[in-house]
Amino acid sequence: MSAIAPERAGVTTQAIEGSQPVRLAPNYWPFVVPALVVVGAVIVFPWAFTLWMSVNSWTLGQSRSFAGMENYLRLASDPRFWESLWHTLTYTFLSVVAPMFFGTVAALIFDARFPLRGLLRGLFVMPMMATPVAVALVWTMMFHPQLGVLNYLLSLVGIPAQEWIFNPNTVIPSLVAVETWQWTPLVMLIVLGGLASVPREPFESAEIDGANAWQQFRYLTLPMIAPFLMIAVIIRTIDALKSFDIIYAMTQGGPGTASETINIYLYNTAFSYYDMGYGSAMAVVFFIVIVALSFILLMLRQRSQWIDAEGK
Amino acid sequence: MASVTINNVQKAFGNAKIIHDVSVDIADGEFVILVGPSGCGKSTLLRMIAGLETISAGKIAIGEHTVNNLRARDRNIAMVFQNYALYPHMTVADNMGFALRIKKADPADTASRVKRAASILGLEKLLDRYPRQLSGGQRQRVAMGRAIVRDPQVFLFDEPLSNLDAKLRVQMRGEIKALHQRLGTTTIYVTHDQIEAMTMADKIVVLHDGLVEQIGAPLDLYDRPANLFVAGFIGSPAMNFIHGHVEEGIFRSAGGLTLPLPEGIQPAEAAGRELVYGIRPEHIRATGQGLSGTVTLMEATGSEIFATVDCGGEVISCLFRERLALKQGEAVRIEIDRASAHLFDARTGQRI
Ligand SMILES: Nc1ncnc2c1ncn2[C@@H]1O[C@H](COP(=O)(O)OP(=O)(O)OP(=O)(O)O)[C@@H](O)[C@H]1O
Ligand SMILES: [Mg+2]
Repeated sequence: MSAIAPERAGVTTQAIEGSQPVRLAPNYWPFVVPALVVVGAVIVFPWAFTLWMSVNSWTLGQSRSFAGMENYLRLASDPRFWESLWHTLTYTFLSVVAPMFFGTVAALIFDARFPLRGLLRGLFVMPMMATPVAVALVWTMMFHPQLGVLNYLLSLVGIPAQEWIFNPNTVIPSLVAVETWQWTPLVMLIVLGGLASVPREPFESAEIDGANAWQQFRYLTLPMIAPFLMIAVIIRTIDALKSFDIIYAMTQGGPGTASETINIYLYNTAFSYYDMGYGSAMAVVFFIVIVALSFILLMLRQRSQWIDAEGK
Repeated sequence: MASVTINNVQKAFGNAKIIHDVSVDIADGEFVILVGPSGCGKSTLLRMIAGLETISAGKIAIGEHTVNNLRARDRNIAMVFQNYALYPHMTVADNMGFALRIKKADPADTASRVKRAASILGLEKLLDRYPRQLSGGQRQRVAMGRAIVRDPQVFLFDEPLSNLDAKLRVQMRGEIKALHQRLGTTTIYVTHDQIEAMTMADKIVVLHDGLVEQIGAPLDLYDRPANLFVAGFIGSPAMNFIHGHVEEGIFRSAGGLTLPLPEGIQPAEAAGRELVYGIRPEHIRATGQGLSGTVTLMEATGSEIFATVDCGGEVISCLFRERLALKQGEAVRIEIDRASAHLFDARTGQRI
């Protein structure tokens, strides 16, 4: 009978019948070091460097000096920063809610059987595959107050021409429309996956129990696809927070600063004004905002997971 | 509460015809059991009554109203599904109370009804669990509970006890019967368990390949099966069938065995056709006279003895109530109770 040796990390034990177990020397360092180096270089260093820059006053081309919390204090009293934070939050909120709504409705429609479903679904997914700059180009033309097709369509139903992205009041909703157009299909695909995983039988029970279509949706479909909706919300939130390309290509944050999100302001600060220290402070604060939002979303996700629920 | 009328109903899935032509009248308050072998269309018929399957032809009425075009949710019926079909994301209590909750019933009343159903079904301790945390039998009882908290016009049960252990099954059988006696709600119940059918039903409908073989009270079906199928299906162990014909007033099997004609059969009406002689194992006694044969198998359960006896090529199963000192390979003489024997036309299967 061979004794069972407690396993230790990195120590391989080979039990050979009739002999003592042979211990191989701990030799895991060659495996761990490359990973540590990569993680250090790619993740830890940029963050440490950003943090360090954010406590320095450093404009590219000029000398750097330690500034302590100065950049952060400047941020707190910078109305343009607060405005951009507000823009980011509204833009994100709308860019989550609208695609979630339309994507869920689209998924419910495409979940039913009808002729040409496969073809239509394929067409519906197309916007997702377009590159943001091309999308921006097309939509900028469509938004054109005089030549754009949108105002033409509005004129057909007697609605006066709008200025879309050229008006500070409508620029954010207009950008959100583009974002929604492009990312509704992603939400649809996720929700479709959720719907496909929903069992059929409970709906028969519900039908027998007297639930109408809305009640079946409200009490069965919705809770059963909630984990999928939550995943879509998380993906959308992260994407919308990070959103830069479409906004930059279409408005560069304008008119004025009406569509300037933190990303755009950060970009302008760091790469137009070369104010690296201030830009870094902004990045750090933005990061904290993202972490806080993610935390809230994760908590919500936990709650939406009836699959693991151990009772209320 | 309501009667249910099933009139020349047919069902086809595409080209596959599942229910050919079924007519059953179910009186208000009656307890009707549908039995039949697996795949004969019992669940399909039940689902048509429920409104979960369309009716290809014919008519189903609940009470006065034809329900062919009425949605399931408007039929006010309660159903226990063969596969339970519980709501996976709701607790046991919420599963049972769902129908009342969406009707905006008083929550206190719902809770008390759920509690009462749970105590009948022995589910009190499981009310906060989710379906996936239950065993098959517990899920089945939750499905039952979901039906009995309601006050429907008709109860539909699709093999509701199939997953319970023997003891619980007997107990639940009693509970369902008591429930039916208390509420008096029309009940249609699918099973392929003989005993359930015999003990619970006011009326049994025997289905086979989408056709009704016979409708009748349990003992009617047992005593006077209309045809070979019903004779073989009702009763356990199954009836013995011996092929042969009538010659000079006695039944002669293909193997040369001779048997007395069943009581009440005139030799004239049986002569000249291919016949099947039917006798139930429990209607055979070992009296020391009659057919002689050899015991080929013998199983004693304590209360009775099941044996198969080889009588010159015909193997006949027998069920003896008395304790006999039988041994495998021993010679034995068995006597057939003529009053309980049947003759069937081998070609049509009909009883003579
Ligand atoms: N949706 C369907 N499409 C095609 N055929 C079906 C469908 N549902 C049932 N069938 C067929 O109809 C026949 C009857 O099925 P049903 O479920 O009614 O049998 P059953 O009598 O309830 O059997 P069991 O005792 O095994 O539950 C089966 O042959 C089955 O394959
Ligand atoms: Mg069935």
